[in-house]
Amino acid sequence: MPDTLKPNTIRIRMYRIGFGDCFLVSLPTSADEFRHLLVDCGVHGAGNIGTLDEIVDNIATVTSKKLAVVIATHAHQDHISGFAPQKFSQFQIGEVWMPWSEDPKDPKAVQLKKKHVALAQQLAQHFAAQAKMGLRVSKSRTAAVAAVANLVTNKTSLDALHAGFGVNAHVRFFKGGDSVPNVNEVPGLSVRFLGPPTDESFLAKMDPPAGHSYLRLNRNRVEVMNQLRPFADKWEIDPHRSEMKNVRLSQTEEKRIKTDIASDSLDGLAFTLDNAINNTSLVTLFSFRGQTLLFPGDAQYGNWASWLEQDGSADILASISFLKVAHHGSVNATPTDALEKMATGKFAAMVSTQSSPWPSIPRIPLMDRLKEQTKNRIVRSDSLQSANFPNAPKGPALTKVPKGFQKGDFWYDYLIKL
Amino acid sequence: MTKSQRYDKPFERPLKAYAFDPSQGRNLGNYMTVSIRHEPLSPGPIGRYLAVIDYDASNDSYYEPVDLNDPSVLVRGGLEPSESDPRFHQQMVYAVASETIRRFEFALGRRTKWGFRGGAKDDPHRSRLRIFPHAMQEANAYYSRDLRALVFGYFPASETDAGASLAGQTVFTCLSHDIVVHETTHALIDGQRRFFMEPTGPDTPAFHEAFADIVALFQHFSYKEALIEMIQKTGGLIYRLNVAPDIAPGEEGPLISSELATSNPLVQLARQFGEAMGARRALRQALGTRPNSKDLQKLFEPHERGAILVAAIFDAFFSAYVRKTRDLMRIARATGAQVSPDNLHPDLANRLAGEAAKIAGQFSNICIRALDYCPPIDILFGDFLRALITADYDLVPNDVYDYRAGFIEAFRLRGIRPENVVSYSEESLRWCPPEEMKNVEPPVCKGLKFDVFSLPTQTEQRENAILLSRFGRNNARALGLRPNVPVQAHSFHPLHRVGPDGRLHVEIVAELMQQAELKLDPKNRKSPNFTFRGGTTVLLDREGKVRYAIQKNLGADNQENERLTRQRRFYVEMDAASGLTTYLGSSRIDSRPMNFNLIHRGY
Repeated sequence: MPDTLKPNTIRIRMYRIGFGDCFLVSLPTSADEFRHLLVDCGVHGAGNIGTLDEIVDNIATVTSKKLAVVIATHAHQDHISGFAPQKFSQFQIGEVWMPWSEDPKDPKAVQLKKKHVALAQQLAQHFAAQAKMGLRVSKSRTAAVAAVANLVTNKTSLDALHAGFGVNAHVRFFKGGDSVPNVNEVPGLSVRFLGPPTDESFLAKMDPPAGHSYLRLNRNRVEVMNQLRPFADKWEIDPHRSEMKNVRLSQTEEKRIKTDIASDSLDGLAFTLDNAINNTSLVTLFSFRGQTLLFPGDAQYGNWASWLEQDGSADILASISFLKVAHHGSVNATPTDALEKMATGKFAAMVSTQSSPWPSIPRIPLMDRLKEQTKNRIVRSDSLQSANFPNAPKGPALTKVPKGFQKGDFWYDYLIKL
Repeated sequence: MTKSQRYDKPFERPLKAYAFDPSQGRNLGNYMTVSIRHEPLSPGPIGRYLAVIDYDASNDSYYEPVDLNDPSVLVRGGLEPSESDPRFHQQMVYAVASETIRRFEFALGRRTKWGFRGGAKDDPHRSRLRIFPHAMQEANAYYSRDLRALVFGYFPASETDAGASLAGQTVFTCLSHDIVVHETTHALIDGQRRFFMEPTGPDTPAFHEAFADIVALFQHFSYKEALIEMIQKTGGLIYRLNVAPDIAPGEEGPLISSELATSNPLVQLARQFGEAMGARRALRQALGTRPNSKDLQKLFEPHERGAILVAAIFDAFFSAYVRKTRDLMRIARATGAQVSPDNLHPDLANRLAGEAAKIAGQFSNICIRALDYCPPIDILFGDFLRALITADYDLVPNDVYDYRAGFIEAFRLRGIRPENVVSYSEESLRWCPPEEMKNVEPPVCKGLKFDVFSLPTQTEQRENAILLSRFGRNNARALGLRPNVPVQAHSFHPLHRVGPDGRLHVEIVAELMQQAELKLDPKNRKSPNFTFRGGTTVLLDREGKVRYAIQKNLGADNQENERLTRQRRFYVEMDAASGLTTYLGSSRIDSRPMNFNLIHRGY
């Protein structure tokens, strides 16, 4: 099948990138002209199936290296790792859009960002050091390590995005409530941002507790960092002294408490931090010639909740014609309230997902309900199987590509005829 | 004659503590003395219920234990408040936790039992709740059934915005009176109600948090000095969050500290903790938002949702306070004097403080007592209202001061509607005895072993449990249990209390539990399992006759079982919010108790 765009037809291309997101939206602005928007381009290190290069090449071919807008929904590896400066600096890029939480001129954003980055580093070092020590670790550790990996080593991509890829792209930051009534270079496109919010209670949730101590490897020796000694030395007492017999713990118990409370709680912190970053997702609503496309990034409940209760949210949800399913179809990324308000049979959906590194993603009951709500007009990226990526985790095979969708070498397309 | 026999044993042991937390300095009677029940103590302190063990897992070290029997400590009435001496910290957690236990015992009319079992045979603290005042370097504190402990962390205050604390100074959660009461309450509820920690709906975790906050907040009104000062500053309106400055500032704005407006610590919880985290305010407040019926539909985070219940209780409390002190205010005004913040007569302030303290004590007791009238699992805020009304009615049949009317109004304003109730009238809110509900003769459970003066022995407990289980099976229909499903009896509590009319009430509370292993999604064979519980709290009179059977029916696994449908829905939707399940998934859903560790991180 020739890979060409059809006149008067919106095409949304979801790439099979592994565990990550990469969507190319092509909008027909005249009979034979198209403008292209790229929403995210990244893959998680632990869910990489090695298709990134082909994907970026395909983006270059389809767009003739011209992108009207590049959107980085949030600063997670699985959404931005593909924004390599050497590749994208060869593109002509109109604008780069990011959430307000990335804005270097917003003091709140800067402070929060600094904290998030420091915390992610600390957690990464701590997990590495504990692994080295061969300590018993909790069941949640593997998942926590993967969550933290998603937060670090994003600097190159972020720098490139902030620099407008060195091609004079106009870098802009948005928050929930903002809108762009007329997007430069894309006649007919108007955009509203539904998230991320900026209110105090949201911010409080974004602010992870700092001040814990953590372990770090230094030339193969484990050091305790950030450690606070709460009392003067004179108060410390040798537990082996006879008068301590009744006020000390057995060694097994000491060890248990050490792993249980002083160290495993950091797993929880890793998930909370991950959640916080997901919730900074730019939630973008495109309106183009009567069609409404919703790209919520990885927004989780907190982000959705901020605008779901506002007037008019029900109308927006009822009107959408396309939904990019948030956060790879995870459990709390598509609130029931929101999904139930979408008009049954009136919209199609795409889920970029795979069940590695996290087996609980995507959430099956959610997938089932989406099938019902879209009347089967939904595809999962991991249904795509190909000799190009033989070792990629396989999702449920599609017996029949649903109406309006098409299959390609590295992608699924969804077409909306205008 | 030995020395010790020449003197009567003291009843009480005075110990010093912060009324709020170190950030309040010496203001507002912050240095207070708690008089706790005297008991033999060894260094730690280690007593009958509690063992304070100062092991710091983050530093892998022990701090010197306090010996509260040392004469130099005794003559001082306990060590002076100090942030730098760990022995004071140990004294304070012990004192505050003991005081909280005493409140519960007083209200419930029985001795405390903890909710955990076990511990190694050679563990000298097997049956005690362990307290680790400096367990870890983390801005967190929680109760852990697994560790049989209250775990308190310490952490450096925010470098940029630490409120009344110094930037970066060490903040100890065990020095916050509120946090200690809150965590102790979690442990105490767990001892009363084993299954309350299972999150079966949005109300269950929220209830646990709210109840702990309620107990902590009511405790504030027993600090006489702080109370009198706040009554002076607010002109008697102690529920106001903000307090006018001592002197109104001039046009150029406040110049000295007396011209700065402050906030009212009586209605705030854990101020230092909240501020040190950079939030610029206390962790939580007694009266959060304006009463409205929408919050209940949109707040699901346990603390936020719990705040609705806290506000309802404190609305009732403050309304009762206003009603009961109106006469005093009128008398004061009759003399022509103004009743306003800057000129409240000290006698009036004293009388108001007395009233506020008395009413707070009564409300706190009503709330704690209501625990016995709660269903054994899956508590809803509406159930708690019914429990409050019934419990109070049982002890004080005529509601002279309109306390119950106040509760009903406050709950109604916040949209908390009990299920299966026709109206908000007191009669329909009271749990009804079995004969009214099912039109059957109330069953009688004969042969239970208990007496007024001692706790049942282990053998007696076992026999009682067998007796009660059989009783439940044989009277399944009358008690709202499912026939032909095994019944387990839990937490048999004899209780004794004296009503205001001087009568001694002897009653027995027990939980009869049933359970079924079900699929989360009944249509999907691969879906994870969970334990669905049903059960009935039975209140028996001293002859063993059922007075109330407060039920959450097990029911059948079908569409008509509303409670089951609701619980399934909750697991699917809300469990997700923890962040953990996003990545871990789970093969089994419930049975793991609520993880207070994560909840308390404040997200």
